[in-house]
Amino acid sequence: METAERDQLKQLLLAGHHDFWIKLTEATRGANDFEQLFFLSSLRKKAVARQHSRTKTPVPPLRIAFLSGSNVYPLHEIIEHLLETEEIAYELFTGEYDNYVAEILEEGGAFYQFQPQVIFLLPGPQRCSYSEDMFDPREVVQAAADAISSQLLDLCRIAHERTGGEVILGNFPLPARRDPGPLRVRTLASDWNFRKWVNLELGLKAPEWVQICDLEYMACRRGAIASQDPRGWFESKQPCSPALQVDIARELVRLISALRQPVKKLLALDLDNTLWGGEVAEDGLEGIEIGDTSPRGEAFKAFQKFVLTLKQRGVLLAVCSKNDRALALEPFERHPEMVLRAQDFVAFQANWEPKSDNLRTIAAELNLGLDSFVFVDDNPAEIEIVRQFTPEVTTILLPPDPAEYVGRLQDCGCFETHRITPEDRQRTGQYRAEAERKAALSSAANMDVYLESLAMKAFVREFRPTDVGRLAQLINKSNQFNLTTKRRTEAEVRALIGEADHIAFSVRLEDRFGDYGLISIVIGSVLGPEIEIDTWLMSCRVLKRQVEELALNTIAQLAKARQCVRLIGVYLPTVKNEMVRDFYPRMGFEPDSVTPAAGRYALDLRSYHLRPTKIRLEPESDESS
Amino acid sequence: MNQADAIAKLQTVLDDIFLESPTLVASLSAKDVPEWDSLFHISLLLAVESAFGVRFRMGEVEATKNIGEFADLIVRRLAEQ
Repeated sequence: METAERDQLKQLLLAGHHDFWIKLTEATRGANDFEQLFFLSSLRKKAVARQHSRTKTPVPPLRIAFLSGSNVYPLHEIIEHLLETEEIAYELFTGEYDNYVAEILEEGGAFYQFQPQVIFLLPGPQRCSYSEDMFDPREVVQAAADAISSQLLDLCRIAHERTGGEVILGNFPLPARRDPGPLRVRTLASDWNFRKWVNLELGLKAPEWVQICDLEYMACRRGAIASQDPRGWFESKQPCSPALQVDIARELVRLISALRQPVKKLLALDLDNTLWGGEVAEDGLEGIEIGDTSPRGEAFKAFQKFVLTLKQRGVLLAVCSKNDRALALEPFERHPEMVLRAQDFVAFQANWEPKSDNLRTIAAELNLGLDSFVFVDDNPAEIEIVRQFTPEVTTILLPPDPAEYVGRLQDCGCFETHRITPEDRQRTGQYRAEAERKAALSSAANMDVYLESLAMKAFVREFRPTDVGRLAQLINKSNQFNLTTKRRTEAEVRALIGEADHIAFSVRLEDRFGDYGLISIVIGSVLGPEIEIDTWLMSCRVLKRQVEELALNTIAQLAKARQCVRLIGVYLPTVKNEMVRDFYPRMGFEPDSVTPAAGRYALDLRSYHLRPTKIRLEPESDESS
Repeated sequence: MNQADAIAKLQTVLDDIFLESPTLVASLSAKDVPEWDSLFHISLLLAVESAFGVRFRMGEVEATKNIGEFADLIVRRLAEQ
């Protein structure tokens, strides 16, 4: 925090100005270390001491009990400051140092008299360690780890049953230091593995009314060394470094807010430079950056994929863009590399009205509160307008580099799932059946069954303008599975589009694990009754997936449509394409003339039967332009 | 930096975090300041460390008898850098 910012806050405080509270909350949200937060907390106390209080809406306070295996000070001070600045009314009970077992077991004690609604239990890491021999059998160590997790969850259960309160349980940060070296990962008895095991058990066994405050994750994110503080432990029994205490306090307040506040329901997205690079109205459908043709295109595609996962988790998607509606819709309808499609959105506002108005329109249409909206834009000015005119909406300003887009959205904390519902648990059964099926497959040598299980889908389509970039890229970089290694410029690729004397198509493959993108290309010249295959290449990622058979079927069909009866396949050896030397014979072609410099092979189409594959051919969509 | 400089800077740090900040003189001791209890002391040291860019070792601040000795310790740690 800048000195100027500190001075401004101090002056606002002295003047008794109402902006003090707004600025204090802003500064608190932005503060990233203990010392800053301690300063802000001190300022807040001074303001209260001067009777310069903020106007509060009277709500019954949430009774929070904080029980800990370590010193609760100064962590509780930071927690209280965050609760105050987030305007969450609360009363706090703090337990005695490392006395949580007695506090929970002793019915009618101070803890129970307080009648907590939320119980934050932070056990000390000193309690999570295997003290016996490092070489004890795994079963013995595992039993010790299970005992720790069971005891903690038992305490949670007792506290919950006696109070009805929600429990937030801290897990254990992993040790930062190297010892015992490579053995660390080879025995469950090392603190590293032991704590990981206990943490896993806690998370996986926690009932619905227990939330885990994930110290392992937070310490990992902050850095293990920066998260520990031996001096703090020895001097005043601090649970961890001041920095990690800040993270814990923030996470706790987030978890508490989530108990009371409805989660966000709708994600409203800008289009240009948010879902794709460039401006569709300026750059045109072919000019926007989306897809695997360029690093930036890939980053935008990754962002769309993450947005799609949010949709799959139940988040509603909306478009809120300053654009010509028809042009804005085009990429969704016609660009082959787009992940998101028009039907993924519940509202599509692309016009020249202020975005705040459009968000209001969407809220009215869907009968949702604006406070359940999250708005994402790359343009600070648009974010500012939305902040000013629809302050209920949570806004996310994207960073300058699209490489960071996914991370920004993943870190926003707006769409987190806290609970596992009974329906979710039912799904486990279905998954288990699936897992058994997979296990059977992996053990069986049956390639057909395996391929079938991949649920492959192929999209075969003739060359088209939107694909030119990716086509040229693949043509110019494929080396191994490439029969002729013939390179072409984008202009040459473009010239093949709709050309009567050529067949030219590409194959895109998807399976249940994902989209492989455009992975195979065939170009053939029609020479009277023959088609000579000038280019046949494929990405090695999809070897042995029957894409070759699918491509040959396609060539045969296109050839027959042009009344051709023979295919000529050419192999031109290079240092890199040895793997396809025998490709044509393997595919049923007869040698025509084969020399060390070149191989020519022929296939009579009159006796050709389509090869069976496990790939479902998807109908060509109406994306052609 | 000498003791007087350190005390002057300490004054600004403590002004920020005490509700009623004491006027620091070399002879003042934590015991003389009601707000300066053992818990507050934990955070106070972190604030002082951050402001001066020093790190104290275990127990050495507790061993100082008054602000003057505390300031001397800060000066010593700074000189070591």
